[in-house]
Formats: sequence, C-alpha cells, structure tokens
Amino acid sequence: MHHYLIKRTAYLILTLVIASMFTFVVVNATPGEPAEVLARHLYIGLEEVAPPELIAEVSERYDLNKPLLQQYLEWVGGILHGDLGHSILFNKPVDRLLMLHLPPTILLTAVAMSFATIAGLVLGIYSALHQNKISDHIIRVGTIFSVSMPGFWVAVMLILVFSIWLGLTPVSGYSGPQYIILPAIALGLHTMASIIRIMRTSMLETMDKPFVTFAKAKGLPMRRVICSHACKNAFLPVLTVIGMSFGALLAGSVVIETIFSWPGIGAMLMKAISARDLVLIESTIMVIVFMFLIVNFVIDLLYHVIDPRITYE
Amino acid sequence: MRFGLVLCLIATLSLIAAAAGCIDSGSEKNVLIVGNHLMSDARELDQGTGTGTLITEKIIITETLVATGEDFSLKPNLAESWKMINDTTWEFKLREDVKFHNGDEMTAADVKFSIENINTKQPGRTTLIDYRDSEIVDKYTIRIRTNTMNPLLPAALHSPDTAIISPKSYDANGEYVTTIGTGPMKLASFNEQTGEIVVVRHDQWWGGTPTIEKIINRGYPNPNTRAMIIENHDVDMTFDPPYSEVARLDAIEGIDVLKFNTPRTYKLDLNFDHAPLDDLNVRKALAYAIDRQGIVDNVLYGVGSVATGPFLPTMAWANTSLVPYTYNQTLAKQYLADAGWTDTNGDGYVDKDGKKLSFKLLTYTERPGLVPMLEAISSNLKDIGIEVEEIAMETGAISPMLAEGDWDMYLIAANLAMVPDPEYVLKTWYTTDGTTNRGHYSNTEVDRIVAEGHNLITPKERYAHFRTAEGIVYDEVATINVAYYGVAIIMWDNVQGFTYDPTAHDYRLSPFMTVA
Repeated sequence: MHHYLIKRTAYLILTLVIASMFTFVVVNATPGEPAEVLARHLYIGLEEVAPPELIAEVSERYDLNKPLLQQYLEWVGGILHGDLGHSILFNKPVDRLLMLHLPPTILLTAVAMSFATIAGLVLGIYSALHQNKISDHIIRVGTIFSVSMPGFWVAVMLILVFSIWLGLTPVSGYSGPQYIILPAIALGLHTMASIIRIMRTSMLETMDKPFVTFAKAKGLPMRRVICSHACKNAFLPVLTVIGMSFGALLAGSVVIETIFSWPGIGAMLMKAISARDLVLIESTIMVIVFMFLIVNFVIDLLYHVIDPRITYE
Repeated sequence: MRFGLVLCLIATLSLIAAAAGCIDSGSEKNVLIVGNHLMSDARELDQGTGTGTLITEKIIITETLVATGEDFSLKPNLAESWKMINDTTWEFKLREDVKFHNGDEMTAADVKFSIENINTKQPGRTTLIDYRDSEIVDKYTIRIRTNTMNPLLPAALHSPDTAIISPKSYDANGEYVTTIGTGPMKLASFNEQTGEIVVVRHDQWWGGTPTIEKIINRGYPNPNTRAMIIENHDVDMTFDPPYSEVARLDAIEGIDVLKFNTPRTYKLDLNFDHAPLDDLNVRKALAYAIDRQGIVDNVLYGVGSVATGPFLPTMAWANTSLVPYTYNQTLAKQYLADAGWTDTNGDGYVDKDGKKLSFKLLTYTERPGLVPMLEAISSNLKDIGIEVEEIAMETGAISPMLAEGDWDMYLIAANLAMVPDPEYVLKTWYTTDGTTNRGHYSNTEVDRIVAEGHNLITPKERYAHFRTAEGIVYDEVATINVAYYGVAIIMWDNVQGFTYDPTAHDYRLSPFMTVA
C-alpha cells in the first residue's frame, strides 16, 4: 500500500508538471499577441487599434516581452512558493480571485454531482430491476434524451418551466440555497444519465452472477440481496464515471454558470481568455487539474474500500 | 424500492417549495433593480483603472465636466463654461455648489487630481486629451494645458473615463478604497463575489433631489437569461436580450420595449491594398448589393436602423444630404460589368481575365449581430456573382489576420462618439495615417480638410467644415456603412421617468425615475 501511495504521488506530480507545460504552451500559442489584446481590453476598447507604443508599454509593464522559458520558470517558481501570480485584467492576486470564485464552482459541482449520483443510482437500479417494463423504457428514453440535449438548452428549458411557468425557483443569481437547484440539475443531468446507463447494465450483469442466485436461494429478503450484495458489486464501474465526470463538471460549467449568473470560475476564466490574461488562465487551469487529480486519487483509494478484493500491491 | 422513489420525489418537491417561499418580491418603493449585462468586478468601480462607463452611466455615482444634448452638442455639467485661452490652454469654470458624497466641496484641485489620476494610470484612455499639465487659477477655475493645440479637449472631457472623483477615494498609499463621486447616487455596497452593486440617493446633489431611492445593479451575462429575468419581473429593467426575443417581450402586458440607436455603426472596412477593391465601381457594386433594410428587419429584428453616412443623422455635425445606396442588384451588377467583371463561363460567379471575383470577409464574435449579419452580407454578394469566404472568430484571434493584411472586408461595430465631435472619426477612420484606417484608404483632399478642421474652434465652424469630408468618403465608398447599432431597453411599466441619453454606452440611468 505504501509503495502504491508513493508511486501514485509521483505520477500526480509528473502529471502536474506535464499539465503545466502543456497549459503554458497552449495558452501562449493561442492566436493573438497577448500585449495587443490586453491593450485593447484594458485601455482603448475592443474595436480600436492599439498603437505600437501602447503595445510596447503594456509588454514592458506586465513583463510580457521576456523569453517564454523565463516566463514559464518564473510562473512555476511562483506556484512552488505559493504565489499563483497577479491578474492583469482584474488587477488582483490570482489566489484572491480564486478564493472569491472557486467556492461557488466547487459548491455547484458538488451539488450537481450528488444529484447526478443519487438520482442516477436510484433510477439505474430501478430500471435494472424492472427490465423491459414500461418504467424501464421511459427511463431509458429519458436517459438518451438527457445525454443528447446540450446543457445550455436544458438550462433555458428548466428556467422556462420551473421559474417562468410554475414560479417555483428563481431564474438566475446567487442569493440563497434556492438558487442552486436549477443550475445543479442542468449541470448534473448529463452525468446522471451516464450513471443510470452504467448502473443499469452493471446491475443486470451482477444480478445474473452465482453469488446473487446463492443469496436468493439462502432465502434472504430481496431488499438485502439488492442492497448488500448486488449494488455494492455493481457500483464499481459507476465510481469510475463519477471520477471522470468530476473534471468535466468542474471545467465544463462555464455555460451553465453564465446562464445562471453563477459567480464561479467559469465567467472569470472566459473573461481572462478573451483578454489573454495569461497568468490567470494558466494558474486557474492548474488549480482545476490539481483538483481533478486529487478527486481521482481519492476515488482510486475508494475502490479498495468498496471491494476489498482490489489490492494496490 | 417504490417507497424509496416516492420518498425522493417528496423530498425534491418540498425542497423546491421551500425554496420558492424564500424568493423575495422586492416591493420597496423607488428601488430600481437593473439587470446589467456583466457581473462587475471591483476594477470597474475605480475611476483610475476602469472604463468609467459603469460608474458614470449605469450606477450614476460620478459625473464629468462636460455633458451633451440629444444632438451630441456639448453642454455644461460640472463645468459651467469653458474657453480657449491660447493654442494649448483651455480654461474651465466649475460649478460652485457641487458636493462629493462625503460632504466635501468639489474644487479645481479635485478636477486636477481626477484628470491626472486617469492620465497616469490609463494613458491610452486620455490620448484625446493630449494632457500636459494643469493650473489651479482659483478654487473654481482650472486651466488645462495640452501638448499641442487641441480643440477636442472639451469634447474629450465628456468621456466617462474622465469622471471627477474625490482624492479620498484612495488611501494614503494610493490604494483604491471606494469611489467618492459627485453623482446623484452614492455607493452603498459592492459584493466582490457576485458583482452586485447597491447605490443610494445622494441628498446633496447639485442637480436637485433624485426621486430614485436606491438602485440595485446585478449582472446577467447571458442574453437569454436577461429575457427571462425581466419576464419574471425579478428585475425592473434590463437591456439587450437576444434580438429575436424583443417582439415577444414587447407583447407581454406590462412590459415596455424601447429601441434606440446608439453611437456605433456596423460597417465594412475595405482593404484598398487588395485589387479590385481599389476600383470605385467595384466598391459601388458592393454598396448597392447589400440589402440593409432586410438586415435591419431580419438580422437585428428592428434593433438598429439602416445606415447611410458614417454618422448618425441625429448628430449635429452629420451630413444629411447623402443619398442612400439603396439595395439594387441590377445596378450592382452593372457597376461590376463597368469594372470588367462579368460571368463569362456561366458558373454563377463573375470573372475577369480568367479569375473569379472572390473576397475574404472577417468579423468577430463578441457582438451578437455581427455573425448573422456577415452571413446575410455574404449571401447578398453571392447573389451578384461574388465568391465569399466567411471567417468569424473572437477579436484576439482576428487581430493577427488584420495585421498581416489577410482579409478583404472586415465587418465591425465601431464607436462613433468616443468624443462627441466629427474630427475623431474622420481622422482615425479615413485619413492616410488614421489609426483605425485598417484598409489604407487614402485621399489627399480628405487629409487636407481634416488637418485644416483641427484649427477651427467653434462647433458651428467645425461641423460645417467636416461635413465636406464626410461627403467625400461617402461618395468614394471608403467604408460600406450597413446599419446603425441599436439597443433594446426592456422595462416594466412600474418604472417611469426614464430618459434616453443617445451619447451613452447603451443607456444612462436618470436620477428622476420612479418605481411604483
């Protein structure tokens, strides 16, 4: 186990290093000279032409004319010393911006993930146990629908039905617990559908396994057969989906956050990208990558908790 | 299992019901809730680093020295009067009854501080002032000196970037604390996380007692959300929903939709370095080929209007005698034929010397009308036999293509009133060395008129002089003006007293509004 932990930590660090290089290269290779784009965003307006003197001044002021390797090393060096850098666009330290905008994103992701997991498991199990009955067909059609519909459309439809027509939820904003309901559903729906499908298939396979037949033959009540024996074994593939989806939800909530005016990192990242606020983009992406890696690390450890047959030697 | 499902359903429904009970109805009188298009960040509240638009027009906590009338002509505001003392010096007499939100009197020293604050921190925003220094003549008189002769100075001081603030907006180390202005409202709170801004009435405002008690400014960056938030009456007022939603919202009882032109125009810049765009006949063919009315009706859904000259006809200096290039495919094809472009091989495209007439059209994605407008224009050009390649990307990605000259036409929504004066647009768009003359249009006559116009001081003389240049660039089709930019302001009928300021960036709130 210790050996495994050390190996995984080494992989985690290696992934972070590669991710930092990749992020830095991609962000810097995006078309548009950062100093020119920043000059228009900060000083003269989107549709104006930045004169060369202004571009030169912006480059000088924000150290954008240093060699790329030096910029990269300074940025990584800063991170290693706990300094994520300073946002040019927002004129604030990046860690301060993340403190403001990361918690709403984490909250939204966590609620969406919980909704997707609970609803996905319940409906997946229900669907498997009622295989080929009408309720199973309805759930399966609903699943295909949820996977196919783009998030922004679902979000707008949810607002239309629950806020405008029924008046049950607020349209958009961040002023209380009621404001999280629709964005969490809109964000989690896709993952929920994936979980339903995986759980259903996995459950169907498990229900045919000899140990389930044995449990039934022992005369155990059906509830115990499902909960204690079948579900636990069927859950493993779902855990993988949860781990993979977490990253997608964390980074992919940009559209949902914009529609619901949710003050997360999505809107901030979009502003940063369009203004080429390099340090803010790079540091924010690194934080997302780090969180994604940690969550998947924890999930890998959870495999053993759920199924002790899995060992890490 | 069934029991579990029912339990989940009940729990969800009760959560929703409980949540619904928490939604506040916001029934206070004269409290205006505005749905703005952006979730503001603290930077925008600081006159020294922000754009000034938010603080001066949207939450009205600051004011400028100079204001404008409906025809964009200058009128007194915090400055009572101004005059040119010599070629490089203007003298401004300030109002003597202006109090900052902290109770301090506004004096010439504060004006000096404010202009130098923005000039030092945001030099790009003060290019038009060409600031050298200023001299405080007495408590209410300031002389501003420019590096070169600058008849545009009073107009440049209309820009919200030059809003007057108290030096106490910063602490002893020069760090921003809060914005202390002179406007009819004062800052009450700012939520750094959500960007919600609350401003309350400034009782000592020199312009009278505002009727509005409080303005709550919230950001809704998605246009669809703005349409739904106003429909649900979560806000009293918003602007720019998707253009296609405007008619539907207007039909809802109790909602008023107001459509105005804003000082911005959709225009095609033409690359004069690329033949045959240097041929006047080809440019005229393009000008006649575009169905401007169709674009206004079907792309902008009536939010905007058909453009003739570069300036809005309501601007005091606009040349109103320009004859529109009304949509006429036959005439457009005739101009192409006059330039030697006809369809000789029957493939549907005009050609000359064995080469098809083909253009690369660019636009950017940040403004909602541009991409569909580019498609409509492309379709119009294909109708007269021109092959078109369309490219739409964000401005950052478009910049390198523009810089390298890898384009033929560039559709842009350009600002017309950075300063309320004709010189700025004519000089930057159309003179040989103009900073935004992307297509390198050049006409020595236009250069001469613009250069001479710089020496004229009185607005009347200036306006008459610059009209000639506007006529020349229009006749030469230096740019193809498609439509004047519009804004749709949506409000519930409990809001009264809104007046439109045509010089504002989309809208400026009035302190004398009421909310029932």
